[in-house]
Amino acid sequence: MTADQAAAERRAVERIVLGAFVRLTGRGSAPLKYAMMEDTPVGVLGLAAGERGLRHVSYTRGEDEFLERLLAEHGDVPLLRTAELDDVRRALDRYFAGRRLDFDLKVDLSDLPVFQRRVLEATARIKAGHVATYTDVAARAGSPRASRAAGNALHINPVPIVVPCHRVLRADGSLGGYGGGVPIKEWLLEHEGARPRTL
Amino acid sequence: MTTAAISDRASSRIALLLAKHGEELARHIRRMVRDDDVAQDILQDTMIRAYRALERLAAGSNERAWLYRIATNGALNHLRSRSRERAALARHAAERETVAAPADGGGERDGRAVVLWGHVARLPERQRLALTLRLVDELAYEDIARRLGGTAATARANVYQATKKLRLKVREP
Repeated sequence: MTADQAAAERRAVERIVLGAFVRLTGRGSAPLKYAMMEDTPVGVLGLAAGERGLRHVSYTRGEDEFLERLLAEHGDVPLLRTAELDDVRRALDRYFAGRRLDFDLKVDLSDLPVFQRRVLEATARIKAGHVATYTDVAARAGSPRASRAAGNALHINPVPIVVPCHRVLRADGSLGGYGGGVPIKEWLLEHEGARPRTL
Repeated sequence: MTTAAISDRASSRIALLLAKHGEELARHIRRMVRDDDVAQDILQDTMIRAYRALERLAAGSNERAWLYRIATNGALNHLRSRSRERAALARHAAERETVAAPADGGGERDGRAVVLWGHVARLPERQRLALTLRLVDELAYEDIARRLGGTAATARANVYQATKKLRLKVREP
């Protein structure tokens, strides 16, 4: 089979599955494509992307749990397992191998509340090897007094690692919380060579 | 539990099955039946059957293999019924041929009909079936396509080719 034929088959197959999806469930919007990364240093990761970019990087126990979560969050969106998230996988593989610690991926935060989006955008600009405080990102998001709200926004970051919320610490230099669990936050920071320092 | 809640649950369960297995099942079915619309019907049917039987699937059994089995059966049933239909159409065409053949060796018009149906019988299968459905059963090209598989355009082309061949045969001395 040539590459063209393979691509044509993939398109036809996708049309069939989406057609079945719409007819069976009444879900008609653009699909969310997902893929699993089973063996990373931080455990199993679920990835999901829409047409406008990456929407989820999730610490999960496995595919079923990840899908349940996606369904709960995006009840009306067709979900399709895909082999197409290769760019995201490759970027994460490079990250875990320590070859490139910063990400240049298209991330879609457009569904999030404005403040959370601003906090995540500010966080995305913290380079590997550096850290910031909750107060810093709150200030960069335009609300210097909202450090607690910034912490909450980071705790439910839909795209951890890629938007490096693990680089945000408490003002006293302690690690603070992490959606994926504090040991993972610690691992990521050590991996990047950014030891939490006392400010 | 309300009806809406049940159908929501069904819809979520089916969405989950489709998300996980839809793509490879669609690929598998499509390769068997070689028609996208039919493949979608069979995939839908597979999902509905799977959902209805889900409670009976023992925990820990291989969900994927089980879905493949349902999908394969669906595709095979389709192929079998299509070949039965083709056989019936072929018989139908043969019967028309006998009906057209006059028992009492009638007039010139009947004689020509016998010759013509003789030519029809020797046409390639798809052309013969398409022509029969068009002229005898007076079906629209879409309906011919539905019975024989393929598109309305293919059906039209088959009828066209058949007619062209018959014209040439009839003109021959």
